[in-house]
Amino acid sequence: MAETKEKSLSDEKPKPRVRPIVRLGIFLISHSFHFSVVCCTAGVLALFLLPVLAKNTYISENALMPGSASPMLSNQHVSDGNRLVKDLTNPNSKSSETGIESHKIIAQYMLDLGAEVSFHKFHPQMNQFHPLHFFSSPDSGKIQENYSCSSYGINTVGIIRAPHGDGKEAIVLVTPYNALKSGFGEALSLGIAYSVFSLLTQVTWLAKDIIWLVADSQYGEYAAVAAWLREYQTPKFSSLSTPNAEMCPDVNNLFELKGHSISGSKFSNSFRRAGTMASALVLKVRDQNEQFEDTISIYAEASNGQMPNLDLINVVNYLAVHRQGLRVNVEKLWSLLNSSWLKSLGEIFESLAKVAKSLYPKWKFGIPATEYVEGTATLASSLYYQALGVPTGPHGAFRDYQVDAITLEISPKFSLDKVWRNDILLRGGRLIEGVIRSVNNLLEKFHQSFFLYLLTSPSKFVSVGVYMIAFALLIAPLPMVAASLYVDANSSSNCSKGDSSTPSAITDTDEHSIAIRSWRWLNSAKLVFIVHLWGAIVSLLPYFISQIPDCSPTTSFMIWVLLSILSLLTLNSVLASPLACAKATQEKEWALVKSVTISSVFIGLGLMSVINFATAEIGALLMVPMCLLAQPLKLDVRAGTLRSFCRMICNLVLGHIAFPPAAFFLLKGMLDGFGNANVGDFWMWVESLWAWNSATYLFIVEVTYIFSHG
Amino acid sequence: METFINPKSLFHLLLLPCLLLYSSIAYNSSPVEAAMHTNNWAVLVCTSRFWFNYRHMANTLSLYRTVKRLGIPDERIILMLADDMACNTRNKYPAQVFNNENHRLNLYGDNVEVDYRGYEVTVENFLRVLTGRHETAVPRSKRLLSDEGSHILLYMTGHGGDEFLKFQDSEELQSHDLADAVKQMKEKHRFKELLIMVDTCQAATLFNQLQSPGVLAIGSSMKGENSYSHHLDSDVGVSVVDRFTYYTLAFFERLNIYDNASLSSLFSSYNPSLLMSTAYYRKDLYKRRLEEVPVTNFFGSVMETIHTDAAYKALSRRNSGRFEDEMSLDQSVHHIKRRMLIKVNDGDEIHDINPELLQGEEGASKCPWSTFRNKFQKAENVDSLLNYGLVAMIPLLVISTWLVQ
Repeated sequence: MAETKEKSLSDEKPKPRVRPIVRLGIFLISHSFHFSVVCCTAGVLALFLLPVLAKNTYISENALMPGSASPMLSNQHVSDGNRLVKDLTNPNSKSSETGIESHKIIAQYMLDLGAEVSFHKFHPQMNQFHPLHFFSSPDSGKIQENYSCSSYGINTVGIIRAPHGDGKEAIVLVTPYNALKSGFGEALSLGIAYSVFSLLTQVTWLAKDIIWLVADSQYGEYAAVAAWLREYQTPKFSSLSTPNAEMCPDVNNLFELKGHSISGSKFSNSFRRAGTMASALVLKVRDQNEQFEDTISIYAEASNGQMPNLDLINVVNYLAVHRQGLRVNVEKLWSLLNSSWLKSLGEIFESLAKVAKSLYPKWKFGIPATEYVEGTATLASSLYYQALGVPTGPHGAFRDYQVDAITLEISPKFSLDKVWRNDILLRGGRLIEGVIRSVNNLLEKFHQSFFLYLLTSPSKFVSVGVYMIAFALLIAPLPMVAASLYVDANSSSNCSKGDSSTPSAITDTDEHSIAIRSWRWLNSAKLVFIVHLWGAIVSLLPYFISQIPDCSPTTSFMIWVLLSILSLLTLNSVLASPLACAKATQEKEWALVKSVTISSVFIGLGLMSVINFATAEIGALLMVPMCLLAQPLKLDVRAGTLRSFCRMICNLVLGHIAFPPAAFFLLKGMLDGFGNANVGDFWMWVESLWAWNSATYLFIVEVTYIFSHG
Repeated sequence: METFINPKSLFHLLLLPCLLLYSSIAYNSSPVEAAMHTNNWAVLVCTSRFWFNYRHMANTLSLYRTVKRLGIPDERIILMLADDMACNTRNKYPAQVFNNENHRLNLYGDNVEVDYRGYEVTVENFLRVLTGRHETAVPRSKRLLSDEGSHILLYMTGHGGDEFLKFQDSEELQSHDLADAVKQMKEKHRFKELLIMVDTCQAATLFNQLQSPGVLAIGSSMKGENSYSHHLDSDVGVSVVDRFTYYTLAFFERLNIYDNASLSSLFSSYNPSLLMSTAYYRKDLYKRRLEEVPVTNFFGSVMETIHTDAAYKALSRRNSGRFEDEMSLDQSVHHIKRRMLIKVNDGDEIHDINPELLQGEEGASKCPWSTFRNKFQKAENVDSLLNYGLVAMIPLLVISTWLVQ
């Protein structure tokens, strides 16, 4: 930036040869307004074009060979699964308060198949907020105090060893199950998993061990899976660390019983392991369904917008659609499906594509308008969940250990006859079998296909190379505008001085003033830094507020707001004296402040796009216009022209929209209606975000400081 | 005169060019004509690893079975398999390999002798086998011990591209390497005829650099074409055989060891629409007409038994024996002639020698040498050269005897 400034200064004097790249830079800086308008428009347009530019998915890894083997799951296995479903839904199995009975049933079934079985007991670990642990791996060796015997969960784990395998790798099948209040769907999912499991005990082609985890979901599906994974991935070599659970009589009782009734079998009290996990499938069956056909929903987003390898989704999609005749869904923002403006946009794109095709037959990029709307809705939800950084299911726990995992939720069209149940058991089971056989063929970890992508439909995706264009276009104006503001601020002060002083004095004062002026931006930087500091403090406050016992979300939100304001005032009085004394020169200074702010936003967004693209994209959509339009209100008021008035309105609106609570309410209002919005909700939302160590949280607070410029 | 030169040393000096001449003649008369067909060898290579390349191992094992059935013994087959599908954990039928989904034929039966397996199958080892440059510790069973009368079948399958064939997922054999190895084999008289059969994508490009005579090459596909698998075994879960190999095997299944089907009938049996690629054969280096060459020349081992009177004496072939006889006859004639000439001694008219040259020892020893050289260079046939040589010896003899006396 400094370089370009000097170049533009030297341009006024004898003209040296300027390199084309520098000349281009100067051109862009001097026309930064037009440039930024064009770039921002193009960026937004490119974002809306993404569904059109989406490519069809393809299976990239040769070794997978999905569907090359015919399914071996027969009616025999299905009836086995059916038997388990019946036993679990039998009312007298639910007599026990802790639901241990049903776990015993499951374990007994697994043992009968010849699998190794063990129980894993865990204490639900409350998600705690650790402001400084955003990107560290999940903490494992933590020794937790105050366990109570009343609250623990039991995961039942069955392991099949590959008959000829080396036991170095494993595939995990997870079925969340709440023994206390299990619906029919959960029992059905167990039935499907059991029928697959019973098949896999007989086959000879396994190269990887199979782990079936029945996760006790009474404290949440994610918590159970995460607890089991923590234990699996961090072996404890001393027996001292796990006495807590052992002391509870109920648990001991469970193990005693088991040990007695089936001595000499493959049941073990200790934690059982298999090899490193190649991939994991979480299987769920939804209880009620409004669809007209059997569908299967894929949930893939893990924490911080990480996605499993695209190949895994491809395999599931291929097998479900082409082999089992199931409809595959990915999350959509349903509210977008009916929006008319999106439909008309889709129609515009469609007609444009038609025109392009008539001009040159090889251009085939158009998609029908309805498909476009669906693609956009899917893309929006994909962006939203990635930006939020909250995993969409128990599969998120696996991604923390770099294991590719997805959640499959089967929603059958319900009817109660037995034929239907057998059918869904057979098809669901064959799908799972196919996926397992395909993953079983893998020789290495999933690595061939994409990790950075956005889905626009189960079989279409936008890869990182394409969606980055939209983002790059959006943030490209930032450095240009920052440079031009900086140059303007310098040259304007230069001119005023040049006019007043005599030519002889110019050279003398020039060098001196240049030295001072070139450091003047530090003042603005200081101001921006203070605001950032305040942002950081505000972001850390909830941690302390959450320590206050017995606080309703609304009150804690109020405390947060009050403390934030208080801290701003304190900071202002202690550190930000320049803010007050710079009042005289404020009119000139604001440009510098803006320039520094914009450059810091640019750096921040650039870094964020590497960490979590979706967050950066949504952030850029909000912040870039705000940054570019920001101007002190006083100046606008004083100018009094129509243009400045419009700009003022824009600023106020944008400033409010981009302020996180406001944005949240607007979004919630749009989706659910304004009636049930509540201040406490925001607190809950934020709480859930930091519970997941979301990077979004960091970002949200970063937004707030810009607000102070208004 | 006697005071100047020691007559004995001079005699040796004069004898030297004689010997030189004689040896050059002997060299020139060594056998130029190629040896006759003595035995058959097969080098069968599967170059690719991994479970999903099951079909390449099945291809190679099918061909192994075929050539064995048609009479090439195990000790003359070098079988190279880059991976072990039979014992792969993913194999639904452990220790069995099939090339058809009907599972009638287990290719990995009791008597399969794999010479190079797994990570031993490298470009280096492959080239060593072809050129015979082994380390001393390599057992005979792993060597290609062919001779100048051998017919060799070289079959390769795997993943290939434009002028290369991938080995082991990490290396590749280029067409230059192959051509160079074949050239070395030719130089070292390791084969008489060589049939290279390649089943990969763009197989034809692998033959581009070949230039050694006696090489016949056939590939499954032209440049820019893929070679496809024939069918998928949904029970095992992989494709089990490639199209080109499948139809080659289909051709050979009809044959037995005594059939006289020609190579051209094999080549014309490939149907591009069934193959989904165009089989390509290169025969410009191969002199014989393909219609006259039975496939068993390469794919089988047809040994001609020759009756000989004495054990351990005769050479394996009547023809080559006759040739050898001619040679020895030639040499004995020559010897007799020389002896005769020596006895005849001087006095005969010798057309080639200039009288002046006889005056001094130096002239006598120098000038005939240059004339010999000229004649040697011009000589159309060995016989005339021989005659000249003998004639040139006469004055030497005359002079030496004269000097000694």
